[in-house]
Amino acid sequence: MALAGAESLSFTYAGAAAPALRDVSACLAPGQVTLVLGRSGSGKSTLLRAFAGLVPHFHGGRFSGRVDIAGLDTRRHGPARLAGTVATLFQDPEDQVVFTRVLNEVAFGLENVGTPPAKIEARALDALASVGAEHLAGRLVTELSGGELQRVCLAATLALEPQLLLLDEPTSQLDLDAAEALLELTVRLTRDRGTAVVLSEQRPALPLDLCDRVLFLEDGRLTFDGPVGQARAWLEEHQPSFVSDGGDVAVHLHHSGEVTCRLAGASYAYDDHVLVVDDASLELRRGEIVALVGPNGSGKTTLAKLAAGLLEPLSGRVERTGRATYLSQDPGRYVLRERADEEVAVGVDGDLAVASGALATVGLAGYEARHPRDLSSGERERLALAAVLAPEPDLLVLDEPTRGVDPERKFDLAALLRANADRATLVVTHDRVFANAVADRFVSLAPDQELVHA
Amino acid sequence: MRPAPAAALFFGLAAAALLARHTLSVAVLAALLLGVCIRAPVSRRWPYVIGALVSAAALFVLTPFVERLPGTVFWTGPTIPVVGTLDVTSTELSGALFNACRLAAVSLAFAAYALWLDHDRLVQSAGFARRSVLAVALATRLVPALERDAAGLIEALRGRGVEPEGLRGRARLLSPLLAGSLERSLNLAEAMEARGFGRAGATRLPQPSWGVREPLALAAAVVAVVVGALWL
Repeated sequence: MALAGAESLSFTYAGAAAPALRDVSACLAPGQVTLVLGRSGSGKSTLLRAFAGLVPHFHGGRFSGRVDIAGLDTRRHGPARLAGTVATLFQDPEDQVVFTRVLNEVAFGLENVGTPPAKIEARALDALASVGAEHLAGRLVTELSGGELQRVCLAATLALEPQLLLLDEPTSQLDLDAAEALLELTVRLTRDRGTAVVLSEQRPALPLDLCDRVLFLEDGRLTFDGPVGQARAWLEEHQPSFVSDGGDVAVHLHHSGEVTCRLAGASYAYDDHVLVVDDASLELRRGEIVALVGPNGSGKTTLAKLAAGLLEPLSGRVERTGRATYLSQDPGRYVLRERADEEVAVGVDGDLAVASGALATVGLAGYEARHPRDLSSGERERLALAAVLAPEPDLLVLDEPTRGVDPERKFDLAALLRANADRATLVVTHDRVFANAVADRFVSLAPDQELVHA
Repeated sequence: MRPAPAAALFFGLAAAALLARHTLSVAVLAALLLGVCIRAPVSRRWPYVIGALVSAAALFVLTPFVERLPGTVFWTGPTIPVVGTLDVTSTELSGALFNACRLAAVSLAFAAYALWLDHDRLVQSAGFARRSVLAVALATRLVPALERDAAGLIEALRGRGVEPEGLRGRARLLSPLLAGSLERSLNLAEAMEARGFGRAGATRLPQPSWGVREPLALAAAVVAVVVGALWL
């Protein structure tokens, strides 16, 4: 018997030219883990929001069809009423945190759904314990790492003991091990409770091993709905980039040239004086692409900022030849101007012709007059990339450039980076598939900050 | 100490500064609150303390030019249409000093509230108007959030080889900062609604009972307001 279902669901956001969902029908059974795949903008997040009642109640627009959750029609029951029956874990944990202390944060949902006061703390602590985070109960959320915060947010959803759990790219900020641990934990806990799980992901390899069923969306239409065994065959035939490990894409023909950046025994510590990077040595040569990998908190971003000149080492030396540019993890930082071309031109003394060329390079030709904030998340990623490519740097440092980027676009990005043999490129990434596709060599930053070259 | 009486105490001190009539009294209150703020961690306190002191200093500098009060004239400047002849008199200066101390005291009372109180507990201890208290708590977190966002924008600029220079360069960050905070507030509102915020029948975590210090702080708040109104 279905726990939830969408019937001929179509939805168009207010002011949008095209529907985000077109005639989607799908049923969700208790205890079933369903993976939703599709390119950026294909409607994955909208489908999850429809199951949470946020579409249409929070996001206004044209809604047709029907969504039922445990017998409740979402047209008549809004997200607040559905909370508890449904729980949602959003992509960016920092945007969903309400309180400053972990225990209060986990208790927030329980308070809202009217849990008896005497039971709130016990259930919040149980939920934290179930994700291995009970030791964080008294901590400030601002002190947590990305992985810890994601676990706390997961605990906040599990504390509600929902019948339907919606996970919108929950591992986008986690390294491979942490992502695997989080997904395995979620699937185990929810299967124990008979909870239906709907999960959207841009790194499908891991969830494909854990889910029961796959939905594939293209331009808002459901083009595949079937068990995971059939899904693999269908993906290999119709969407090979979603099952590629990246090794069959890269053609590693680059030859290394002169050194453009050399770190010699570089160390760095932030205000707490704990060394984040300790005695690191690394050479980046013109023409090569180096993938810097390692677990969350191992100091990859700090090392990348040292290489780009955004941080000065406390000890050791960093030498650079020519200009370096650095792409931040957050594309929301490239929204200073009112037009896309003006934003890109910031780094090239306002030269709009160069900016237009850079926009065209990343597939945003014709977007010159658009406001950066009006772009979709995938388009903002490309705008940010154009902004750091436009100055034609000798050293390009990219920090997690594939966060939230669909597999097909990742391979486009890999091809774009590999097309230029004149610069040195350092890519910080958790995405092993992308790293395989783009890198000439790997540098792994182990937890003890030792650099391992491969 | 529980946050509600502590908030009442800071509110009482701010009210005393607004009600007091003597510059010295207000200056002492401002100094007391500055001492409280300075004991907060350096990394957190500077935007609040600098913001309060710079605002007060700006008020002190600008007020004499826009006020027209008699007194010993220290300086006479050009005549500006609508405003008239610019001058600085002794009465204007003393009035400016008084208002600057008031602004500093009230700003520092807010800074002490933002820096020292556990806002989670303040929300939970709100017996009524919980939504309003939560809104105030979220607004209080805006300052550190904006500080982080500004650091991120500057880092992204430097990553393109551009250094934001001078007041004008940094002022250009204000608009994207504001737009970013609006965007974040929408995301947060969505997440809160998905977690049942606003639903009828909400409960709350039980709170520990008051000790000795809480009634004392409340009494001190009342005393501060009365003393400020009658004697300072």
